[in-house]
Amino acid sequence: MNPLAVSLNRLQLKNPVLVASGTFGYAREMAPYLDLSGLGGIIPKTVTQQPRIGNAPQRTVETSSGMLNSIGLDNDGLETFIEKHLPYLTSLGTAVIVNIAGKTIEEFVQMTERLAPLSGIAALELNISCPNVTGGVDYGTNPEMAFELTQKVMAVSPHPIIIKLTPNVTDVTAIAKAVADGGADAVSLINTVQGMAIDWKRRKPILGNVIGGLSGPAIKPVALRCVHQVAQKVNIPIIGIGGITTFDDMMEFFVAGASAIQVGTTNFFKPGQSQNLLQELKAYVEHTNLPSITSLIKTLELPTVKKC
Amino acid sequence: MPTTPRQVTAPVEARAIVVSNVEIAAHTYRLRLACPELATRFQPGQFLMLRLPGRTDPLLGRPYALYDTYADAQGNTVGFDIGYHVIGKQTGLLTELIPGQVVDLWGPLGNGFPQFTGKHLACVAGGIGYTPMIAMTLEALGVKTYGQSTTPASPERRVSMLYGARSKSHLAQLHELESLPNATITVATDDGSAGHKGFITEPLDTLLAKGEVDAVYCCGPELMMKRVAQIAASHNVPCWLSLETPMACGIGACFSCVVKVKEDSEDGWDYKRSCIEGPIFEAEKLLLS
Repeated sequence: MNPLAVSLNRLQLKNPVLVASGTFGYAREMAPYLDLSGLGGIIPKTVTQQPRIGNAPQRTVETSSGMLNSIGLDNDGLETFIEKHLPYLTSLGTAVIVNIAGKTIEEFVQMTERLAPLSGIAALELNISCPNVTGGVDYGTNPEMAFELTQKVMAVSPHPIIIKLTPNVTDVTAIAKAVADGGADAVSLINTVQGMAIDWKRRKPILGNVIGGLSGPAIKPVALRCVHQVAQKVNIPIIGIGGITTFDDMMEFFVAGASAIQVGTTNFFKPGQSQNLLQELKAYVEHTNLPSITSLIKTLELPTVKKC
Repeated sequence: MPTTPRQVTAPVEARAIVVSNVEIAAHTYRLRLACPELATRFQPGQFLMLRLPGRTDPLLGRPYALYDTYADAQGNTVGFDIGYHVIGKQTGLLTELIPGQVVDLWGPLGNGFPQFTGKHLACVAGGIGYTPMIAMTLEALGVKTYGQSTTPASPERRVSMLYGARSKSHLAQLHELESLPNATITVATDDGSAGHKGFITEPLDTLLAKGEVDAVYCCGPELMMKRVAQIAASHNVPCWLSLETPMACGIGACFSCVVKVKEDSEDGWDYKRSCIEGPIFEAEKLLLS
């Protein structure tokens, strides 16, 4: 038995190291830097039903141990994705999780139906949490809408469904519970944290879109908190995302309650790091004779705290 | 056409050792890195991403153009130089690097300048933008080769290097080009402390008016490149610009570094990633803001 294998309801992965949407292009760009077939899964850049030109530059800016982006889901639309990128992705020998975003439930459902008969897709990840476009993020901040969306997509999808959640809410567990009730196979969290950068001398925002999403090591504590809260309150497999750069970062997410993780912003500054993390995880499992990586998940020991 | 698109080799991720780090003009440094994996692949106009290991602030790599490669005593290409101008957090930290320290790199990246196969090339540089012009000139004049590319040699081929900076103290010495009979160097400074007083675009206009130049390659501040493109167009000389747009990854994954490139579509343009489809673009295909 493969000790690295994990299952997230209907989604089976050969290992828990995935790469996050929007940080890995369409995988072709990353091919020079690592063996793509080794990864637990690849989540290409978000695709929308129609092409989107994206936001005006400047689209990214570095901040302390992190970066802000406001790319705005720049992509060529679902048909081009299916024609140009999907055949390559499905040839790689790893799980392909197609990340989709819609402005309405109908758009999500139509995209899901379009992808339904296609072979080689391991799962769909629904981006209901992009802070840089109008529309789709409402599903990530309103439990009733998140529930309805999940239920309607589940009804037409033969593929496992993952819902990617935003941390930009008062209570992330309420949204996670809603999508779990809607039947989702898993949640992935977190998407970026809303943020802003200012050039005070010019009295101008640095990003063309004014506000963007913060990612990178700076947001790891926020991500760990969200994973922990959802793991404690909601019975649904979690894919942890947020500032994972090192082996220790990754292990913290497993202990907090993530069944798998996604390497995101790190792909931008250490293009081969997801493969390094996977190798370190393999070495750890061998070294400790761990029968299964799943025995690490949600092993956090909480102190018994008396609330005053 | 006096140019041929370049064949480039796949990039690699590598660790390089600092060999030297010398200030060559005001706030301008030349950093020599031992890294055969990249050095043997690097071509003029291509760039690499560099970051300091073991820290998350600065987090991302920054793009630097190839300045020139260098060889060991046996003639094997073992490393290369980049130039940097101190402007921010990372370049500030770069000045502290000493020989023996390591940096993380990935590259070579981008398309590079097209190979020049014409008669007379004008390289127009502003400030730190002169660095990619050194290797470009050496290749065009048949002095050196880079990566897998070989440009057919021609004894009649000439390169005019036009180099503008703020003042004399901001000008780097172009030692590599000074001794070459077929290279001409023209300098301009804003304050007239060296060479032509004013913008380098003025001597460019005069040069192009002679009708001998068959291509212009340019790297420098955006306003200068825009003006260079206008001048080249007015003389019907093809012109290539090396763009420096803010990048997060340099490898096409992040979609930050987009520029407006003309195309047959409803809007007449589309965003293209300057790291992958550039950083060198034909000026007439760009919609410069």
